[in-house]
Amino acid sequence: MKLKALIQKEFQRFFRDPKLIATLVLPGVLIYFIYSLLGSAIWDGEKNYSYDVLVYGASPKVEALFEASFGESLTLTRTEDKENAKAQVKAGSVTALIAFSEDFDNAVSEYDPMSGEKAPAIEIFYRSADDASSAFYTAATSLLSAYEGEISNAFDVNLGGEQYDFSSTSEVVMTILGGLLPFLVVTLIFSSCMSITLESVAGEKERGTLATILVTSVKRTDIALGKVLPLSCIAALGALSSFLGIALSMPKLMGLSLGGMFVEYAFGDYILLLALIVSIVPLIVSAMTAISTYAKSVKEASSYTGVIMIVVMVLSLVSAFLSGIGDWVAVIPVLGTVVAIQTVLEGGAALLIGLIAIGINLVFTALFILLVAKMLGSERIMFGK
Amino acid sequence: MEENAIVRAEGLRKTFTLSQKQQKLEKTAEKRKVAVDGLSFSAYRGEIYGLLGPNGAGKTTTLRILSTLIRPDEGDAFVGGCSVLREGEKVRDKIGFMTSELKLEGFFTPSYLFDFFGAMHGVGKDALAARKQELFSRFGIDRFAEVKVSDLSTGMLQKVSLVVAIVHDPEVVIFDEPTNGLDVLTAKVVTDFLIELKNMGKSILLSTHIFSLVEKLCDRVGVIIDGRMAAEGTLEELCGGCSLEDKFFEIYRNIKGEIV
Repeated sequence: MKLKALIQKEFQRFFRDPKLIATLVLPGVLIYFIYSLLGSAIWDGEKNYSYDVLVYGASPKVEALFEASFGESLTLTRTEDKENAKAQVKAGSVTALIAFSEDFDNAVSEYDPMSGEKAPAIEIFYRSADDASSAFYTAATSLLSAYEGEISNAFDVNLGGEQYDFSSTSEVVMTILGGLLPFLVVTLIFSSCMSITLESVAGEKERGTLATILVTSVKRTDIALGKVLPLSCIAALGALSSFLGIALSMPKLMGLSLGGMFVEYAFGDYILLLALIVSIVPLIVSAMTAISTYAKSVKEASSYTGVIMIVVMVLSLVSAFLSGIGDWVAVIPVLGTVVAIQTVLEGGAALLIGLIAIGINLVFTALFILLVAKMLGSERIMFGK
Repeated sequence: MEENAIVRAEGLRKTFTLSQKQQKLEKTAEKRKVAVDGLSFSAYRGEIYGLLGPNGAGKTTTLRILSTLIRPDEGDAFVGGCSVLREGEKVRDKIGFMTSELKLEGFFTPSYLFDFFGAMHGVGKDALAARKQELFSRFGIDRFAEVKVSDLSTGMLQKVSLVVAIVHDPEVVIFDEPTNGLDVLTAKVVTDFLIELKNMGKSILLSTHIFSLVEKLCDRVGVIIDGRMAAEGTLEELCGGCSLEDKFFEIYRNIKGEIV
């Protein structure tokens, strides 16, 4: 009954305060909008440009190559007045000017690089501040580099028209997700736990309201559990909000379809992922509760957790370089969970490593709860000046 | 008379480690400070017992030991027969501890906090509802029961703190410096509350350095100087006709040799 009242109090404190609810939901909503906008800017922008390009001199081969590559989005117009054409580009009335040196195609075919003579040249005049002009310049230079390689090539690589890459699109997506998401998930869970736990534990200690509970007959372990359990639920909701924000906006950011990202995982994979995420939340919350109980103020607690956040972020980043090191990494808190999440997302066999990581998370959570209970009984920590 | 003692302190000793900063402030090279030094006393059922002493005499430390927030280095104390060292939870159920250091969460209402702390002490729902109605109407809190604590006046907040501290109907009420920092109106609320509690049959232990408060409220008084019990008894026994203030400074001079 006492534990139930403690848990209810934490939920009441949180869910009756619109400001705190906003801190829970806002990050997810913001992430979704920012990533979606970013994705639209990257992917939609490139497709919608139409290029009005002037051509000075002539190269039927290159012009044909451009027309084949850009299709209807490109309009090539010949010009005899180079200076006037440059002025038009400068004024922004056309996208770009391509200027070929004299008799370009013949000069290229007859050119001997060993002769020491000046090579035939193409000049592209453009404006980098203009999105369409800049996009055309980037596409045109890469197209010309490929053309240059083709006409003077000694050998070809993968030009036979066969399928050389046997990875399916979904496998590529899984690899990208495997490398990126564990880091994002752990970082989001961490920041979600941080905002909630510091206020609730270090804040209560600083305000003197925790001491009021300590003079009641409630057990110290109940107070510790009464913090860790509800805060874990709240932090999990915060992390879920951020995770949804990322998951829903990621296809837009990467230019993929939503379905392509999620259909490749089996039901068991989802259960394991969920269990891993659910088990790491109380671990982080209990660790932060211990830090917050030890600290004299919210400020002190946030400086301690700042250091731990860096360690956790580094651990979740290095996991990408640890593939194949062995299942023993699962016994390292946080790192084990990150590696397990990564293995699941990459489509590997993650059951054993996942179960070990979940077990380790729960064991460490229990240890941290006992530590918090011990600290709550310590006069030096609770009442030391 | 000892069998009637509801609070019994036996040879309590408590020392604190001083930080370098505290050493400088106290102008001492000693790394440890003796806050309470072999303190023994008894408070009896139904009386108001006052611990009187200057700042730093060890009054607050003694009350913190009695409320189990800190542990003595030596000695033991008993509340309602339960040891503060071995039966902390039982002791906390027998006492209501009030001090300015213990605060109520401003976000919640008096009604919610009363129910919450009732649950913390294991009070049943029906008993809690009846007690809430009785105490809230007796102290005029009922009109503010659903107002956030942060929006209450200082006087009302003090009343709510007092009521919440006795939600579980404790045998003993321990009060550290009851009127410290309060305006005259709120101080009156508190002293009236203590008299009311005594009339309800509660035993009260308070610490103070205000002579008039002891003279107004206390049945017996213990004078603490440098963590030791310098004198103890009823006001008549202690003062023998002179004022408490005169008697206190006489005792103080005898022990310390000077006032300042």
